[in-house]
Amino acid sequence: MKLRRGLLIIGLLTPGLGLILALIGTVVYIAVSQSFGYYSLNGTNEFSTEFWSKMAGRKAFKRSIQYSIYIGVFSAIFSVALAYPLAIWLRKPFAGSNFIGAVLKAPLLVHGLVAAFLFINVISYHGILNQFMQWLGIWSEPRRLQNDPNAYGVLILQTWKNMPFALLLLTGAVQSISDDVLDAARDLGAGTWDRFRRIIAPLTVSGMQAAMVIIFIGAVADFSFQVIAGPTNKQSLSQLMVSFKGRGDWHSAAVVGVSLMMIALVGSAILAVVARMVMRGRIK
Amino acid sequence: MTVQRVNKILLIALLAVCAIWLIIPFTMAVLWSLVDPSEPWTADKVLPPVMSLFRWTDMWENSSLKSALIASYTLAPSAAILSLLLALPTSFALGRISFLGRELAKMLCLLPLVVPPFITAIFFTSLLFQIGLSSWRPGAILFAHSVLFMPFAIRILTVSFEQVRQDHIDAARDLGASHWARFKVAYLPALKPGIFATLLIVFIQSIEEFAIAFIVGSPDVVTIPTLLYSALGQDYVRPNAAVLSLILVVPNVLLMLILERLLRSANPTLSSGKG
Repeated sequence: MKLRRGLLIIGLLTPGLGLILALIGTVVYIAVSQSFGYYSLNGTNEFSTEFWSKMAGRKAFKRSIQYSIYIGVFSAIFSVALAYPLAIWLRKPFAGSNFIGAVLKAPLLVHGLVAAFLFINVISYHGILNQFMQWLGIWSEPRRLQNDPNAYGVLILQTWKNMPFALLLLTGAVQSISDDVLDAARDLGAGTWDRFRRIIAPLTVSGMQAAMVIIFIGAVADFSFQVIAGPTNKQSLSQLMVSFKGRGDWHSAAVVGVSLMMIALVGSAILAVVARMVMRGRIK
Repeated sequence: MTVQRVNKILLIALLAVCAIWLIIPFTMAVLWSLVDPSEPWTADKVLPPVMSLFRWTDMWENSSLKSALIASYTLAPSAAILSLLLALPTSFALGRISFLGRELAKMLCLLPLVVPPFITAIFFTSLLFQIGLSSWRPGAILFAHSVLFMPFAIRILTVSFEQVRQDHIDAARDLGASHWARFKVAYLPALKPGIFATLLIVFIQSIEEFAIAFIVGSPDVVTIPTLLYSALGQDYVRPNAAVLSLILVVPNVLLMLILERLLRSANPTLSSGKG
């Protein structure tokens, strides 16, 4: 009876969860194996750490790692920092709050590539922003804003696209705090900042962590924003991986891919812990 | 009341931000898509000097837009149906049977969402090469989309299965209903919104998916996102990119609004037991 039940459950899980595990498992397995020289598509097929050591010596690889982490961390921080005050403001419904919520969340519906186009269209050399600044007399001639070397464009795009997601998670968390708790704090003389720091922050920390981690993983692996709006002298890890694959160098692509997965994993763990410490550490 | 005044000021400030956030970018896109090639839109003019639908008809007739639309709009519904069918048994198990490790199973279902899309795309292609199926591009993309977007399907359908009321099933059984009849009267009404929501969300995700379609599909399969990507890259013509952006964004926004309606309308009837 027990065995039959177990078999039934496994049978039910196979087409869904089973396929997911099979596909993702194989993908990760092949990536790791190829980074160590296995599954070569042309010729040799043996264990080797050559691809790792060669990659570690490459300047472009180190720059990519730094650059991707920079984009990942700052996109997560900006999105969450912007979403917090908005979530608190929208905690209680008021006239027009639904509309504001809808407008703020609209970027969720806009495809990343479309967002990138809209952005470069606005900031391009003859774009509306340049025209506006010239019209105001602040800039005497149009400036080249696209593909800026510090990747501010990519950060703006990431924040535009991801802030609504953080807002979604944080609105849920903030709304679940009952009025009684906040009123009690107010009665005890806590100001706005104290209420945020001592009540809202600790009670919403898990929603905030989830938002941070998911946005970080997405942004650290960014490809399209980087290719379209990012600096031309730097490559993100995804971009580097795609360019290796394009040259047929699967092993190097695999080294970059595995590094990217490890960075996403370790980075999001560190980010989650740090976020918790920042939000909770101040409470005595 | 001061709170109301503060809200009003904030509201106005926010509407201004909104204009920058949404209205300006989209207006610019619409205007650029209407620029007639007979006279270029130079920096000294506020509006395009000559406006026409030339770009739209030109793109329709002389680019791979038509085949991209066909590819995207056959791929997406197929992926949606396949994903739904594959997700149903797992969701039934997760929603109606309690077993050891159920929470772990629920977590594992989310795996495709954590692995960066370009890693999945590249090493899935590598897998296709290893097993000699690399020329099987449309099928491979369909398979990958159905599996990778299954987390959404399983998530939604598990909740739907949880909401099926045991007393409805018992009542149907007591009245002597067969398996099929029990499914029809007790399960189906509670599952229906979830099924529609699943189909819609996988459809939208598949239409928008870029990494798999780009890496696995190139150069044979062109979908709307890959076409837009090349229009933004090597052959960047601003009005054409504007046309493609609008073609990609408008139907999806409408579908998303329907989805939100659907997910919202799903709950009250069910929790009140009127399902």
